[in-house]
Amino acid sequence: MSRRNRILLVIGVLIAIDVLAFLAFPPTDPKNTTECVYPVCFINGNLELPAPHAIFPPGHESPPGLIVFDVSISSTLFTMWVVAVLVIVLLWFLSRGKKSIPDGRQNLVEWVYETVESFGMSLGGPKARPYIPLFAAFFLFILFSNWSGLVPGVGKVPWFRAPTSDVNVTIGLALVSFVFFQYQGFKHLGLGYLGKFFPFGEFRNGIGAGIIALFVGLVELLLEFVKPVTLSMRLFGNIYGGEVALGVMTALTIALIPLGLFALEVMLNLVQALIFSTLTLMFTLAAIEHHGDDSDESHEPTATPMDPAEFAGAH
Amino acid sequence: MEHLGAGLAALGVLGPGIGIGILAGMSSAAIGRNPDAAGQIRGLAIILAAFAEGLGVLAIVVGLLAIFIKA
Repeated sequence: MSRRNRILLVIGVLIAIDVLAFLAFPPTDPKNTTECVYPVCFINGNLELPAPHAIFPPGHESPPGLIVFDVSISSTLFTMWVVAVLVIVLLWFLSRGKKSIPDGRQNLVEWVYETVESFGMSLGGPKARPYIPLFAAFFLFILFSNWSGLVPGVGKVPWFRAPTSDVNVTIGLALVSFVFFQYQGFKHLGLGYLGKFFPFGEFRNGIGAGIIALFVGLVELLLEFVKPVTLSMRLFGNIYGGEVALGVMTALTIALIPLGLFALEVMLNLVQALIFSTLTLMFTLAAIEHHGDDSDESHEPTATPMDPAEFAGAH
Repeated sequence: MEHLGAGLAALGVLGPGIGIGILAGMSSAAIGRNPDAAGQIRGLAIILAAFAEGLGVLAIVVGLLAIFIKA
């Protein structure tokens, strides 16, 4: 069979699978179950409300409101446990039986870790070495959580939902990152860390310089608290927005075009995991460096320029 | 009224659109000027585009809040 015929056959099979799935599981509108008009009914059938939905105890409804405290297991929490166990078991299984000349599975794990480590080191230089394990952990966990939302079935079945499409999970991750880099700042600089935001030493250079420095310190303090907000909202918006966009696109154009959006979502989830962990590393490195006015130390230029090509692929 | 607010909030995606367009133009010019650095520029451009995209997502999140929070 020639190449062109093979491609046409694959496309035909994909369209046949899509149409059969559409006929076997037609979308039902939860709001208007009598009739099914083309755009609105399909979109309502494919849309998912923002998480979390409590699944244990069964039949439990969360109390309404913006910020509530509700003790129950939700679908995103259950999926987060499943993803965490899966990642741990996978990595443990792949790195069993360490030989000094790696082969097969151990080679794969070493390649993954060395790629992540070289990317982190190229961003931060040798100072970043103590923070690479946290960087790799954030990256792998968020990557597998994001990609778990694209597995067919996750999101439609009551027990499974992508963990990072839940704003509680992303706020939790951002708070962990925030506490971590604040702790690192205090550990390395002591109470001089507060001297970044309240620079009372500038009054030595005159009253005008002192007032300007106070204003700049106030703005920096505000930016410090914006950091966990943007970290969490960026991740949540990308993943939940991706789910909504995928649902609406599948509702409007049943076959073949959602595959393009699916491939875009795969790439975007990878990039968002990279961004979260890279920003954590950058904030940590920014928090531990000394105040920029101590100019008696001579800075050598950093050894390697920023080289993300090794990770993003310069093939 | 909530739908009006959500529609207005979605206009905030204009900013990152312009930003990513400027990034694309300047990185293409840089690759044209120096084709040997194409790998580095490509990697850098992807990461910077994701930063700009994050701010557009903040606008969408405000719109979602306007629709789904009933109080």
